[in-house]
Amino acid sequence: MSVLIDLLLAILTVYLALQCLLAQRLSQSVFLFFAFGLALALAWVRLGAVDVAITEAAIAAGFMGVLFLDALRDFSPAVSENQEDLKAVQNPPSKNATKSLLLPRLALGLGLGLFLLIALEAVWKTPDGGGLTAAAVALLPESGVEHPVTAVLLNFRAYDTWLEIGVILLGLLAIYAAGGINLYRKPGVAAKDPLLRQVILFSTPVLFLFGAFLLYFGKTGPGGAFQAAVLWGAIGIMLHLGGWPVFAVLPRWLGQLILTLGLGFFLVLGFLFMARGDALFEYPPAYAGILILIVETLAAISIAAALTTIYANINQMQEEPKQNESTT
Amino acid sequence: MMIKEVITVILLLVGCFFFLAGTLGVLRFPDLFSRLHALTKADNLGLGFIAAGMALHIASPWAALKIISIWLFTLLASSTTCYLIARFQKEQDQPKNGKEPG
Repeated sequence: MSVLIDLLLAILTVYLALQCLLAQRLSQSVFLFFAFGLALALAWVRLGAVDVAITEAAIAAGFMGVLFLDALRDFSPAVSENQEDLKAVQNPPSKNATKSLLLPRLALGLGLGLFLLIALEAVWKTPDGGGLTAAAVALLPESGVEHPVTAVLLNFRAYDTWLEIGVILLGLLAIYAAGGINLYRKPGVAAKDPLLRQVILFSTPVLFLFGAFLLYFGKTGPGGAFQAAVLWGAIGIMLHLGGWPVFAVLPRWLGQLILTLGLGFFLVLGFLFMARGDALFEYPPAYAGILILIVETLAAISIAAALTTIYANINQMQEEPKQNESTT
Repeated sequence: MMIKEVITVILLLVGCFFFLAGTLGVLRFPDLFSRLHALTKADNLGLGFIAAGMALHIASPWAALKIISIWLFTLLASSTTCYLIARFQKEQDQPKNGKEPG
């Protein structure tokens, strides 16, 4: 029975991915991407990787979906008055364009094929004992947390996690580079709908609580900084859409401080214990639990702020040309 | 014990029926408003039945409470989304009619 479910899920995931790529209209692609993200999250749950499933559902389907929806709105016929732009986006490229695209397509196909081969080889070589799980579980008492995934992410391989936080910040910097540095922009069009505003106000404390729960729960089970950060980032994005730009009221230095707090504290902590002769990102076992909680909280705040700012900037960047138009 | 399992199965089946009906409605109904109706109303009812069935099956009060709250939040989100989409479509329809693709 469970094999049947797994098989169905596998077929569904691949089918949705294919449909997402092959869909005729942009809107279809975006919504199929949502469905694909959810199917993938379910697949991760079936594989027993609940941490990955939450992250997949929250970041890949949730946050990326919001960005895609925002991009979609700029191409939708209701907003865009330039119909030719719209046609160029929605119609497949003409015959001439296909010819020039042949080489990139070939390269992409070869690259993906190679990647698939590497992935197959990795699957083939997976040890029967579950890889390094036993080693991670054996060192769990020293890590300060009770969940092996959190122990690996924030203690044993903290360097990787630190880099991941840096990548998000780099993404934000890239957006600044493309759109001009403006720490946090005010929304051009705020939602006027009273019901929407009430629902946003209602969900804010709920999301905050749930994010805090995920953050704290990461100590003993699936959850942690990134999952909490997406929920808190969702608060920021919803408040932004509802016309309460939370970061816009903060002074510039405070916003920058919040954005870099997680990365900075993580780094300082990592080097602090090097002075005692420990390795990079090695915490003393006695304080590891509380240190990890602090690092996770600060990282979650920073990531949430970064996600909100990314959304606010992208949302604004594409809206600027239409600014002189009447704002409804 | 036996009766509880039977009730669980019945609740799950009823939930699946409503999901099926909702999906059929989305596929077959002619315009956006009736499709929204099928999607949000029938599916939420189906989800409610499935949540009730699962809550009964799990039997731990905390887990049951969590499942019920999932249902409540889905209700809130989907009814709000339904309203927003319908309002958007209505505003779209006002300037020019018959724009809705089949």
